Amino acid sequence: MRLDLIAITRRPPVIIVFLLIIAVLAFAGVGRLVNRFHAQEEALARHLYQRGVKAQSENHPEEALGAFRAALSYSRDNFQYQLSLARALRDTGRTAESETYLIRLWERTPQEGAVNLALGRLFVRQRVFDKAIQYYHYAIYGVWPSDAESKRRDAQFELIEFLLQQNAYPQAQAELITMALALPADPSVHVRVAGLFMLAKDYERALAQYQQTLLTDAHNQGALLGAGQASFQLGRFRTAQRYLQAAVHADPGNAAAQRLLETAGEVLESDPSAPRISEAERNRRLGAAFTLAGGRLDDCAQSRGIDLAGQSSSNDLPHLKNMWLEMKPKVTKLSRPHSASSDPQLPDELMNLVYSIEQQTLSVCGSTEGPDRVLLLLAQNHAGVEQ
Amino acid sequence: MSDTVDLAAKTPESQEGDDAPNARITSRYWFALSTTREERFFLVLAVFIGVFSALAVVCFRLAIDWSKIWLLGPVPEPHNWRLIAVPALTGLVVAFLVIHVFPLARGSGVNQTKAALYIYNGYIPFRTAVGKFITAALAIGSGQSLGPEDPSLQIGASLASALGRRLDLSRERLRLLAPVGAAAGLAAAFNAPISAVLFVIEEVIGRWSAGILGSVVLSAISSVVVVRWFLGAEPLFRIPAVGLVQPAELLAYATLGIVGAFAAVFFARAIGYLRPRLRAWPRWTQYFQPMMAAVVIGLIGFLGAPQVMGAGYEYIDQAMHDQFTWKMLAILALLKIIATILSFVSGTPGGMFAPTLFVGAMLGGAIGGLERHFYPALTGSTGTYALVGMGVLFAGFLRAPMTSVFMVLEVSGNYSIIVPVIVANTLAYVISRALQPTPIFDLLTRQDGLDLPSLEEQREQTVLRVEDAMSAAPTPVLNGGDSVDQALQRVRDLPGDFLVRLHPSGWRSVTTETLKRLAGEGKGEMTLGSALVTPALPYLHPDHTLETALRYVYQVPFVPVVHRADFGRLEGVISRDKVLEKYRMTQRDETD
Repeated sequence: MRLDLIAITRRPPVIIVFLLIIAVLAFAGVGRLVNRFHAQEEALARHLYQRGVKAQSENHPEEALGAFRAALSYSRDNFQYQLSLARALRDTGRTAESETYLIRLWERTPQEGAVNLALGRLFVRQRVFDKAIQYYHYAIYGVWPSDAESKRRDAQFELIEFLLQQNAYPQAQAELITMALALPADPSVHVRVAGLFMLAKDYERALAQYQQTLLTDAHNQGALLGAGQASFQLGRFRTAQRYLQAAVHADPGNAAAQRLLETAGEVLESDPSAPRISEAERNRRLGAAFTLAGGRLDDCAQSRGIDLAGQSSSNDLPHLKNMWLEMKPKVTKLSRPHSASSDPQLPDELMNLVYSIEQQTLSVCGSTEGPDRVLLLLAQNHAGVEQ
Repeated sequence: MSDTVDLAAKTPESQEGDDAPNARITSRYWFALSTTREERFFLVLAVFIGVFSALAVVCFRLAIDWSKIWLLGPVPEPHNWRLIAVPALTGLVVAFLVIHVFPLARGSGVNQTKAALYIYNGYIPFRTAVGKFITAALAIGSGQSLGPEDPSLQIGASLASALGRRLDLSRERLRLLAPVGAAAGLAAAFNAPISAVLFVIEEVIGRWSAGILGSVVLSAISSVVVVRWFLGAEPLFRIPAVGLVQPAELLAYATLGIVGAFAAVFFARAIGYLRPRLRAWPRWTQYFQPMMAAVVIGLIGFLGAPQVMGAGYEYIDQAMHDQFTWKMLAILALLKIIATILSFVSGTPGGMFAPTLFVGAMLGGAIGGLERHFYPALTGSTGTYALVGMGVLFAGFLRAPMTSVFMVLEVSGNYSIIVPVIVANTLAYVISRALQPTPIFDLLTRQDGLDLPSLEEQREQTVLRVEDAMSAAPTPVLNGGDSVDQALQRVRDLPGDFLVRLHPSGWRSVTTETLKRLAGEGKGEMTLGSALVTPALPYLHPDHTLETALRYVYQVPFVPVVHRADFGRLEGVISRDKVLEKYRMTQRDETD
């Protein structure tokens, strides 16, 4: 019987089963060992990672880099450590290595917002703009483990700011319009979006955003100032004056708002087409604008050595001078007390000449300050000044 | 009909297998009943060997990592006295263990495994595995410049040998188990099964043998699967984007091959020169040799290059990702060569696989960086150069050219760099062979007083074939359908043996005397095929080697050489005298 048992134990199926049992037991034993070792490694890695985060917050990027690297050597697959290391590498100028890390992370989790954002920033640093925009978009539409809406919005803000830095205004505007469609009821977000619309030179939408903010927070200082600035840029000086007055009232120390308010007031006081002013006042404003434009014309020609009496010139200044001289008698008549213009088109013709002179001298001699600037602002949108 | 079956049935190896010890096995064990069943069982056993080797290697790697953390600290940093003191003390402990407890644990382990295969019938004491595990883990963990791959290879081989002995496998099978375990151990250590299989063929088995290829592959793959189960599928270092940017870059890779060859020759010659001299020193000095090596390496680490301590895979990773300047890479390559020479010649247990890769990566990165510095438009990424550099040192120093190419491809998973790899590796191999004719592993075995076969030598040998020694067949050739009388009539006055062609195939020999005897017995009317009762002759083909022919020509006057597509078509005959004469002529030519 004993001999039979020995023979049985030497049969291949029995040997295989026996080896299988040993393998399973060994698997279990090694598994426990590996788990224990990994737990120890994880603890070590956490400690080193915390050290890296601390070094980063204390602005010691090289030290942080070393700590993140050491942390990763004990926890190679840790997503957070890899991302932190990749960011630290990027921030210390090791972009090639950072790219390797991030691309590997991206291959593992292409939908991960944080990785895409880091890649977007990396490509900004490497000045590969197409890829940067692509990864920013992935980040905006990617997966974020917590506070997804806010993080997506932050990524979009970052993209818009990047586009604005590149003077890509149409793309920035497109991003802003998309963003504005789904904004939360947070006034600060509206103000920020409106500010970006301002930078993208989309003043109409900027004003709309500021006004939206003021509906929920009528005393929002940023919105008041922004609305004033947007209105000013749109040439709606009456509206601008109203918002800027409120802004200055809320913050009397705001010198910029104060200056803008004064300019808006000057524009409104110089506008000859303003409603509810007397004929004499209108004529006075026309005369003042005409005289100012003539002076500006002469000063500009003199500073550039242009002969206004000559016929051949590369610009229109001599021609404008002729027109100005032709119109001068009519304006002199207007300036007499109790005189009324027999020509109803005269104010418009006069102001058109004034605007032409201001715009031409601007292009030939550059910008100016003071009353001439007021005339230029009037020229930009003289029909909407009172809006 | 397959001639392979005929030949295999009478091979000298199978005859050896019929010796007395195996006759004992035949009576006791199931697998002696059927060769096919034993072969099948051997394949299953290869899988188990792969699993057990992998489990051992996983533990070995944990032991190294644990030792490193405890001995050198979680992050070894320069200017810390611990980098000198701890390795020195550990060196002393390791030396004591090697001298008194595990004497066979000394060195890399590749040669010991090869010796087990060729000299000790596959016998590797289990104690060697235990000793290798403990001493190598301590040595590598304490910063000795050695790698875990070669010890893993030996641990795998040792486990396989122990398992084979436990199952009372035949001597032939036991002998084959060592390379099977070696492949499993190496595959587990390097996480690269193809390279492991090729390395074992090139360096351990030393010859191409289809016989155990299946088992070696099975064990390597099962081993890698288990290792990845526990430690993940990530390679030992991250591979950056690699590729050949433009064909002109091949010049740069050729330069890398040449520089790598000189570095490899220096590396090998220094080991070859120092090792026997240090071993010849008084016995008491051997207690201090690992310690002194550790002190020098610790000092290198202390002074600012802790990267040379240990296996250094994390620094290969960093070199591949452009983290060092080319000057730093060149310095690290030189320091690593020095550190590895010291560690190895001091008799500290550990492998040369990882240091070779380290030196190659640093050297490749340095040359890549240097060329990028001077010709920014010419060169590709540093990572590509580092990767190719690893292959270059592997080809030049370890002299495993096939493994070197496949290793780079397997590790990178990128075939776009095959041309630079082949160019650089071939140059490194050829130059290294010219300057250092004996490969490092052969050099070490010869220093140990052994002479083991090497694939490199085998490649250089002239293969003699049957067609080189065969002569014309004796005429006439008789037909098996002819009657005895007819045949006798044709050969009555002719001396010697004649061939008889049987239908549909097969050959026999007959003499005039035999025909006369058959005719005298009244069998003159019978056909030759039915009258002859002698066994059929073995036959050969013109492309068979003379070694194969030797197995048959000693028992018959000549062996027919037939066409492979028509066994009835006689190409000639081969005899023992002709074979020996050919060998004599060849030897004379080689001597001249």
